[in-house]
Amino acid sequence: MPIGLQAPPSLGVPGKKRWAMVIDLRRCIGCMACVCADKAEFDVPLGVWRTVVKVKNTGAFPNTKRHFMPRLCNHCDNPPCVRNCPTEATYKHEDGFVLQRYERCIACRTCIAACPYNARHVLPNNRDHVKIGGVVDKCTFCNHRVEKGLVPACVQTCLGRSRIFGDLNDPNSEVSRLVATHSTVVLKPGKGTQPQVYYIKPDRGLTEQAYSEPVSYAAKADARAFYRHNRSSKFFSGVL
Amino acid sequence: MKDFAQINRRDFIKLGAAAGAVGAAALGSRRLVAMEQKLGGEDFSATTGAARESVPYTCLACNIEDGGIAYVENGRVVKLEGNMDHPNTRGKLCAKGNSGFLHIYDPDRILSPLVRTGKRGEGKWKRISYDEATTLLAQKIREVIDRANTENKPEILNEIVLKWGRNRTGGAAERFMHALGSNAILHHTDICESSKKVGLEPSWGPDIESCDWANTKYILNFGSNILETAYFMNPNAQRLVDGVVGNKAKLVSFDVRMSNTSGFADEWYAPYPGTDGAIALAMANVIMYEDLYDADFIRDWTNVTAEQLKEHLKTFTPEYAEEESGIAAADIRRIAREFATTKPATTFSYRGPVKHVYGSYQEAAIHMLNVITGNVEKKGGYCLPRGMGWPQPEPEPPKGRVPSLLATPPEYPLASHHVSTLAPYRVRKGEAKVSVWMTFYDNPAYTYPSSHVWAEFLKDENLVPFFASFSPFMSETTELADLIIPDVTYLERHDPESMPSGLYPCLSIRQPVVKPLGGTQEFRQTLIDVIHKVDPDGSLGIKKYFAFDTVSDWMRAHFDEIPGLKEEGGYNFLKKKGVWPIYGKVDPNTAKIVDRNGNEVEADYGLHRKELSASDMEGAEVDGNGTIRKNGKAIGVQIRGRNYVGFGTPSRKIELYKESFKKFGFNPLPTYKRLPTRERKDNELVLTTYKVNVHTQSRTASLKYLAELYHKNPMWIHTKAAAARGIADGDLVRVTSSVGYIVTRAHVTEGIRPDVVAISTACGHPSYGRLAQLRQREQAPDWAQGAASPDISNNVWWDDRGVHPNPIIRLAVDPIGGSQGWFDTLVTVSKAQPGDSYGDVQASVEASDRDYEETLRYAYNGDIHRKNHPEVDIEWDALPPAELEGVGHPDAG
Repeated sequence: MPIGLQAPPSLGVPGKKRWAMVIDLRRCIGCMACVCADKAEFDVPLGVWRTVVKVKNTGAFPNTKRHFMPRLCNHCDNPPCVRNCPTEATYKHEDGFVLQRYERCIACRTCIAACPYNARHVLPNNRDHVKIGGVVDKCTFCNHRVEKGLVPACVQTCLGRSRIFGDLNDPNSEVSRLVATHSTVVLKPGKGTQPQVYYIKPDRGLTEQAYSEPVSYAAKADARAFYRHNRSSKFFSGVL
Repeated sequence: MKDFAQINRRDFIKLGAAAGAVGAAALGSRRLVAMEQKLGGEDFSATTGAARESVPYTCLACNIEDGGIAYVENGRVVKLEGNMDHPNTRGKLCAKGNSGFLHIYDPDRILSPLVRTGKRGEGKWKRISYDEATTLLAQKIREVIDRANTENKPEILNEIVLKWGRNRTGGAAERFMHALGSNAILHHTDICESSKKVGLEPSWGPDIESCDWANTKYILNFGSNILETAYFMNPNAQRLVDGVVGNKAKLVSFDVRMSNTSGFADEWYAPYPGTDGAIALAMANVIMYEDLYDADFIRDWTNVTAEQLKEHLKTFTPEYAEEESGIAAADIRRIAREFATTKPATTFSYRGPVKHVYGSYQEAAIHMLNVITGNVEKKGGYCLPRGMGWPQPEPEPPKGRVPSLLATPPEYPLASHHVSTLAPYRVRKGEAKVSVWMTFYDNPAYTYPSSHVWAEFLKDENLVPFFASFSPFMSETTELADLIIPDVTYLERHDPESMPSGLYPCLSIRQPVVKPLGGTQEFRQTLIDVIHKVDPDGSLGIKKYFAFDTVSDWMRAHFDEIPGLKEEGGYNFLKKKGVWPIYGKVDPNTAKIVDRNGNEVEADYGLHRKELSASDMEGAEVDGNGTIRKNGKAIGVQIRGRNYVGFGTPSRKIELYKESFKKFGFNPLPTYKRLPTRERKDNELVLTTYKVNVHTQSRTASLKYLAELYHKNPMWIHTKAAAARGIADGDLVRVTSSVGYIVTRAHVTEGIRPDVVAISTACGHPSYGRLAQLRQREQAPDWAQGAASPDISNNVWWDDRGVHPNPIIRLAVDPIGGSQGWFDTLVTVSKAQPGDSYGDVQASVEASDRDYEETLRYAYNGDIHRKNHPEVDIEWDALPPAELEGVGHPDAG
């Protein structure tokens, strides 16, 4: 029996939806449109992100490559954040969304510590037009859009059509077709979280990069400034 | 391009009417099974779930003009999204486009006209009304007109100058200047890509190619960063990914630096800056000598023979190109063979090859690869751009009577997109006079080479007695103005638009998605008001050109009489849909435009092969070369008995041989000239600049989402070059050119040629509002009138705003295309000296003056020009004189 406000895993359960995202890394060009669309969608303040794109260079001149790795909440089918939330502020919707109820959140950061993907943050209080702060926030898979029949905002604007969204329980959906016909990986499968963001064509360098420390001085200097500002999160985005 | 616009309009009006009817119908059920969620087109509040109001517009975050939908909640724009009806941008916006609404709510926006009270540039202003401001500007203009009339000297009218950067007014700014009788209209195209345009236009008519990325099999990219910034980034990037991932096309990229495009490519080569042309010529050499060319296409559609090309290309061997570029001859040979034998294939090029002295030759050489392989106007190939035009309201003012030295310097007769970089030097030398200088969407004191010269010039009240800016933001240039009449942002104003951003020609509209903030007035209305005040009773004959009661009347005059659009509702249709025609729907799985049965609405190919009708041919004559003329105008070309419209050139064929070039001593065929930067000393490096995917050149540093992603621009330097100078990653370095030096930080990387350094633009603003300068915690200056942003004031976490490289970049003008040679500056790089601090800039006006004298020597009437062109067989002592009225500049007068 699930603990907390945890809907049981819905993957493969007939009659249930299981929303999922496929990220085709062959198609990601690191344009950062998703990052900005997401910021606008939720009036996300500076210093925190619901989704980021990590950048990594590999190789030696002239045989170098650049790789991108979009990251967001994995909307796990077995989410540790929900298990660990003492106030039932975080819950899992029966269709698979992992969501946050601001009014119950006491910003204790337990969920932040429990999330193996660094996908949660504390919202600052100083925001421009949405006046909610001092609580934990995260990616919602845009459930407010999905429930009205739309894809999430990051998928909508994705230039390379790298992000694909749909119901994994529907065998005719694009995400089902992609997962069935491509070799995909999920992040940190060993944690038993059953993450529902599937990556197509990640090479080793990419999956490692998802958690690697910044390499260049430029990136490290930004990371330092960022940590100083927001010590709760390592989930940040930058072009360098 | 005008010729094609007309052809297209006629053809696509038919298609547009048909597709419009289809577009209204629902998608077939087959598609609905596959993709259950809609991509876009409606939006709901994340907090209340309420539907948001939607208004279509056309983006102007950069210059791609993507179709957009603005979502409005309680009168505030909360989000932007791509317009799903736009056939080329297909519902997507890039990072800049998604962030563009932040311009409206910039706390440091100027919301009322300002008149200077202190010294120029001192930052002291008084708020005045739009009425007072337009009266003041009109009075200054009227004084010049009265003086011209009293002295009976129309050239005095050219003392009224309008310089613009991003002019997307659809003819309004030109109409304003021509109504005033002035030709002193200065573009920014020469700091952008004009040498590309001049490399292409004489050859096939239009100024850019439109590649069929999605359907191609092989892409040769020369110095463009398609996936980040180059022209038509968003639509091109979408289709490029479709081509490379979906259609298994191969992408080979040439760039001195590993951009996102080169990092994505199957093969990346880093040639020495300015040698792309040598590589392209060597590839052409291989294709011609190995008989891999399209003999029929060369014979039928060009003004040269295969033998002539072979003879011309004889010395441009892959070994020669290796010597120049550093790219192995074996690779050049292999890529040439692959390019010629993989069908369809296309090249794309942008600023890398062309932003050099002789950039137009490089573009012509790259263009030629598509011509000799017959990839022109093929599905999956190298296509003509497809734009549409709109009529201008009648009566239209004629151009001024006298050409302007500042707008059309006679030393550059081939530069059809003008040369604006020389203006301050000429005025300072007394060669031209300025009375009223106006600036619109332009920031030369930041964006131009040797930008300090512009700041000095605009600060000088003797040289520029009156200076008015229309900018809503306090840029490095606007802060020097005497009068600011702020325009609105692009989401609050009207413009007609058409961009050849894909293979489907369309019109689109810019319209206020919310009421202009704080009672601000759009530029178009300001122009109407100024004209009405210059000529209140119409006695000057100017007022009649601005006989619009409202801005909407003006837009109706553009849109209500276009056949096809008129039947669908004209301006009202565009207000509702944002774009016309509607070709179909975007297939959510393939992103192709499909009809209601899910079948692709295929673009038109082979535009040059459209046949002339019997009525077109009535009264037409065919000359010995097959050119069909009617009423003195070339309208087509006859090839083996069939009458085609052909290309937009005098012969209606592709003119690889350009008679116009030869007249001024330039090589009429695509060639390569070694640049002075090739004679580099061992300790010198070539300084290059670039844009990143989340910024424009100068306008976006104040947008918080973009500044958060990219706010500093350390200098890229190769590991070995850094080690040789004792420089470690992150070290403070001094970068010195002949103009001066800057102090910045090193970004040591494997992703750049060892003899090149690269510094991006968009950072290091000394002005442009508090966020761009990282002074967001300071109190708002008097002139800043936007609502405070608690987010910006409290949550900015970065502590570095970067260092701008332009002050040390040398002025260098391509003698053909007139473009700035952005990548023609040599620098030395060393560890910073004691006393140096980050952001130090030292630049000498005297050194830039020497660059001005030097660059004129490359112009067609200069001494270096002749020395560099021994192969051109003309009467060198009988070159046409460089006189304003004599040369016949394409745009003069």
